[in-house]
Amino acid sequence: MIKQTTINKCTACTSCVIDCPVTAATREFKGPKLLGPGLERFRLFEQDVEASIDYCTNCKNCDITCPSDVGVSTLNMLAKNEFYKRKGHRLRDWILSHGELFARLSSPVAAIANWGMAFPLTRMVLSALGIADRPLPAYHKTDFYQQFHALRQQPYEQKVVFYPGCYIGFNAPQVGMDLVHLLQANGYEVIVPDVVCCGTPVVSNGYMDEAREKAQHNIRALAVWAQKGYPILTCCTSCGLMLKQEYLELYDIEGSQQVAEQHYDAGEFLVELKDKGQLKTDFKAIEGSYLYHAPCHLRAQGIGLPGLELLQNIDGMKIAEIDAGCCGIAGSYGFKKEKYDISLAIGKNLFQAIKACPGATVVTECGTCQLQIGHVTKAATIHPISLLYAAWESNKQASSEAE
Amino acid sequence: MKKSDVIVIGAGLAGLTAAAAVSLQGHSVTLLAKGAGTLAFGGGTIDVLGCYDGRGLRSPKLGFEALPAHHPYTIAGKQGVIEAMFFFQKLCSEAGYPLEGSLESNVWVPTVAGTFKPSCLVPKTMSAADLAKADHIQLAAFAGLKDFYPSMIVKGFQRVALYAGKAYHTVPVETHLAPGRDITVLDIARWMNTMAGQNNFVSQVKEQIAPGSYLLVPPVLGTEPNYDIWQHLQERLNCRIIEMAAPPPGITGMRLRTLLLHLLKKQKIALIEQAHVSQAEIQSGCCKSVTTKHFGRERTYEGDAFILATGGFLGGGLVAEPLAVKEAIFGLPVASMLAAEQAAGDGLLNAGPVFQSGVNVDEKMRPLDLHGNLVLENVHLAGNILAGYDYCAEKSGNGVAVVTAYRAAMAAVGREQL
Amino acid sequence: MEQYFDVIVIGGGATGTGILRDLSMRGIKALLLEQRDLAYGTSSRFHGLLHSGGRYAVKDAESARECMEENTVLRKIGQYCVEATEGFFVRTKGDSEEYEECWATASSEQGIPDLRISAHEALRLEPNLAPDIQSAYRVPDAAIDGFRLVWQNAQSAVRYGGVVRTYTEVVAIEHINNQVTGVRVRNTLTGELKKISCSMIVNAAGSWVGRVAALAGITVDVTPDRGSLIAFNHRLSNRIINRLRPPADADIFVPHGSITILGTTSVPTAKPDDFEVNREEVLRQLEAGKALFSNIEDYRILRVFAGTRPIYSPGGAGRGATRNFAIIDHKETDGLLGFLTIVGGKLTTYRLMAEKTVDRVCNYLAFKAQCRTAQEALVPPVPQAVREDARRHLPAYAADRAIDRLGPRIEQVVARIKDNSACRQLVCECELVTLAEVEIAAADSTTFSLDDIRRKTRMGMGTCQGAFCGLRGVGVMTGHLAKGSTAKKLLREFLEARWAGIRPVLWGNQLREVELARAIYGATLSIDGAMNDEKE
Repeated sequence: MIKQTTINKCTACTSCVIDCPVTAATREFKGPKLLGPGLERFRLFEQDVEASIDYCTNCKNCDITCPSDVGVSTLNMLAKNEFYKRKGHRLRDWILSHGELFARLSSPVAAIANWGMAFPLTRMVLSALGIADRPLPAYHKTDFYQQFHALRQQPYEQKVVFYPGCYIGFNAPQVGMDLVHLLQANGYEVIVPDVVCCGTPVVSNGYMDEAREKAQHNIRALAVWAQKGYPILTCCTSCGLMLKQEYLELYDIEGSQQVAEQHYDAGEFLVELKDKGQLKTDFKAIEGSYLYHAPCHLRAQGIGLPGLELLQNIDGMKIAEIDAGCCGIAGSYGFKKEKYDISLAIGKNLFQAIKACPGATVVTECGTCQLQIGHVTKAATIHPISLLYAAWESNKQASSEAE
Repeated sequence: MKKSDVIVIGAGLAGLTAAAAVSLQGHSVTLLAKGAGTLAFGGGTIDVLGCYDGRGLRSPKLGFEALPAHHPYTIAGKQGVIEAMFFFQKLCSEAGYPLEGSLESNVWVPTVAGTFKPSCLVPKTMSAADLAKADHIQLAAFAGLKDFYPSMIVKGFQRVALYAGKAYHTVPVETHLAPGRDITVLDIARWMNTMAGQNNFVSQVKEQIAPGSYLLVPPVLGTEPNYDIWQHLQERLNCRIIEMAAPPPGITGMRLRTLLLHLLKKQKIALIEQAHVSQAEIQSGCCKSVTTKHFGRERTYEGDAFILATGGFLGGGLVAEPLAVKEAIFGLPVASMLAAEQAAGDGLLNAGPVFQSGVNVDEKMRPLDLHGNLVLENVHLAGNILAGYDYCAEKSGNGVAVVTAYRAAMAAVGREQL
Repeated sequence: MEQYFDVIVIGGGATGTGILRDLSMRGIKALLLEQRDLAYGTSSRFHGLLHSGGRYAVKDAESARECMEENTVLRKIGQYCVEATEGFFVRTKGDSEEYEECWATASSEQGIPDLRISAHEALRLEPNLAPDIQSAYRVPDAAIDGFRLVWQNAQSAVRYGGVVRTYTEVVAIEHINNQVTGVRVRNTLTGELKKISCSMIVNAAGSWVGRVAALAGITVDVTPDRGSLIAFNHRLSNRIINRLRPPADADIFVPHGSITILGTTSVPTAKPDDFEVNREEVLRQLEAGKALFSNIEDYRILRVFAGTRPIYSPGGAGRGATRNFAIIDHKETDGLLGFLTIVGGKLTTYRLMAEKTVDRVCNYLAFKAQCRTAQEALVPPVPQAVREDARRHLPAYAADRAIDRLGPRIEQVVARIKDNSACRQLVCECELVTLAEVEIAAADSTTFSLDDIRRKTRMGMGTCQGAFCGLRGVGVMTGHLAKGSTAKKLLREFLEARWAGIRPVLWGNQLREVELARAIYGATLSIDGAMNDEKE
């Protein structure tokens, strides 16, 4: 768990304030420096309420920019948790952070659930609860777990563990399946253990105890594979950051260090195969122009932008990095009525850059980034793994045509 | 294992400049960034050499003669300094944000403390060479702005010989920013980013200032590295607007950093954020690779040459323990007098030898031990990690960063002139 | 300005201001003279422990009992300078079990309540303690802010008609026919000289009593004994932690507001203002402190400082000497009428010392009046409604801190904020001090420097040690600059004062902070730059 003494590293330099997208978007937020390490010295012995902590999106831009490795975002999340303990939760907070539960319930009747979401009466109820008027993520009729278990994998000696996360699990299972196919093509058998939501939305909505339980469950499920030395892959960058870093910062769970050390972002894993000359899959460029958006939670992982790297290395692939900052959705944040405008304000520069390239498809690892970008710019979005899968398919087709 | 021609460790001004120089020479670069350097919140002026031996210098060149052998400028050589400055000016110019000034003379930039700081290359918005000729100087006083006290500034200027006899006027400006946190220059600069903000500023100020006069403002003319806002306002107000130097968030440094990062992205260098380099692999006096470790797994980066621009104490390149100063990654020998009580000097600003701590280098910026022997063949140092200078007393911080970064970069790609 | 006072008190520490308060409350016309700012001496340079007496239980029974009684009084009257943190006495792995038994017995004999708790329980309550502590006792220690104590005594005295003059040095004691008639003083800021007459002088100058007595040609044997202290960036514990062993260096950790102070040492010295700390003694204290907080090396040191204990020991010296006080009537010892010196003692018993001294004064002046200093609070309590109003208007966590400093004067700060919301701005973000409070402090007639503001508001005493608030503080003071003072001068003085405390501990994260301060004031603002030739 993050040590109390981390606040000693802060020099009050203001780097975090400068790079904080929430600070740029709203005057209400007092800023990460004051709310994080600044007030932490007082939280050690005082009880008070700094309500603006609720504006923190946990985007990690403060951590990325901090030259002193303070871990500002974690201090903020812990403070937010205390804040919610005192102020209590709204039903809306519970709904938005427990998407997995709804997904598991709704997925079997996805079509009805999705239709129901669009129904005016539903929307009125959601609005009254404090949920923003924007499309909610749609459930897929066959969730990832069903599709995965229906697949007959080629058994291989080399194995990887895949942690799908809620978004790929229930809303975008195709991405997970694309990864499984790619891994199989590279001689890996995929294991999907019994895991639950990584806890990202419950952490940022102040349900820390519950988040800890989820973490304990996941570490128990993953540690046994980590001990065997199997890589543990994620496609969702927020789940990835959780497993690789936040579990270590927020809790003290035995086995979490090993899991962190075995964690790979899916793109990162494929890049490492490529660097070792072990990537068996060949790719052929896909038609069209692509813009890559780096999710904040990927930039925070210290692994560069592997998805972009893979795509840029495909001859003829027209892909450029947008590099225009946070999209603003921050998971459940952008779905909250009173945060909606801030969410859009945060992503302003990004949306402008995308709109300047009409017809381009936006490539990004984060499911909720995709939702935000699609919602505001109407641009098509795709996960880099899916684009790679398409490029692989295209190559296979071209090769077989060539024969 | 990732491989590049050159691995740059550190993303402060020195690291960013070195990465730019290497990549513009056509080599592949990986930049490992732990976090932002002081450039992010500091000033974006290239202070080359403003003071030496307690005297202000009219030009950096006048001071070069007096510098001791181990000073980074002496090691770089006068020609090296000239080339580096030329490189940097060209880089900024081509990015649409030309800096003004030359090594022939220092400029005195007004600060929000009511003082003037010596600098060499400054953004056009801070170019104040003609300010001394003004009879009448106005200060834009944004309501509620922290770190800006007009009467302190005026009183300070009035104590400076060249500025004593002038008329000073404060021009109040309301920003109508939404209520909330304390107002800093960052808030106002973002307000000025918008056309509405600029129009509002013009409409408030226009009636209050005389055409052809001088208006001093805190560093608030936008957050981007261009002069659009400044030029727009000067045209509409028909006056000279000069930005002052201010404490963090300094805004002007942020602009320069944005410029450099955009350039690096354009050059397609590999920028790895949250990269905490923990150790290096050395074989026969040569660095083979460096390893990052934060949470999770270690990652290794291989290169033919390495540029170490991790900073001094503030940046973390040097770590001070009670009885020793260590260099954090390679364990390089550090020239430091921290252990000696006397070394600490008798004042925060005149702090004596302790703040000159750092690593000694040869003319290729490669680390030397305390006997002058080469430690590593293919590692080049730049910036505040270097020994032999005190940026605070000399007003030479960004200058040393740029000069040594350029030298290190050229040495790393084998292009240095000796 | 008054030229005659019944009593002149020399020395603006706890003892002096305590005496002034008692005199004023009893209706005696009194003036206090202090050569620098109030609490310049020992009263602001100790670890801030309001003893339960436990520390003296074994060796000095009388002191222990006195401490216990006065501790109770001060908690009652000093709501806004005393924090009832309670304390632990903790025996660590290397400490003697026999001493523990001895101590426990002696404590209960003195009536010092202590409650034995298990090491496990101690660790539960204070998780940062070293995991291998052996045993712990709860005692009613409290933390006292010496500076606030002194100021609150002074303010209370002023309410009763007392007068305080700071930056006023006594340069001569005048007497005719072996009877004190008055003093000559020098304003240390302006150099102005003045005469003031009086019937009595009370020499309460702490470590300086010898110097003051010498002005009247009298020798008082006080041996200043220097103790150095270390301030850490944050609370390591919410309770005072005492080491359960025979008193030695570095055996007390005291939480103060947002920081922790570790002390102390004991070294006889010749000078009362020997305030220098050297690195070796810091490292020795840290080594000793490790037994209580094994992670001590992870804790950031903000600064170190030192003060001198005025030890009155015609016999022994240092810790061995009695911590009792003595009132010397120089009529008896030196044949000078109307001159009393109060010497020795410790801060915890300042009120008792003052009471006894003023009893003597009353005797001398043939004046009958009861001492009420133990009955009346130093500062009237802050009504709940005012507290809530403050919480509504000040930033989060700032209100209670400000109330602790200001007591009912918080209303002035709140009124200012209500009048102009810009005054809600935080000048000092580390210690959460609002512009309203700093403006009020700057306008005060006893404020002459940034350090005066710092002492009153805690501005600059937090993590950044003035790196950011220095400039803001000077900006606020611009409207109140005394003649000859400039913003640059104020800033430099302020920074150099901070430097003095950081210089012996130039390592770790505080060194990084110093570098940032140098970058701001040296590189960006160039306050020492050569173009700033000033017209003096």
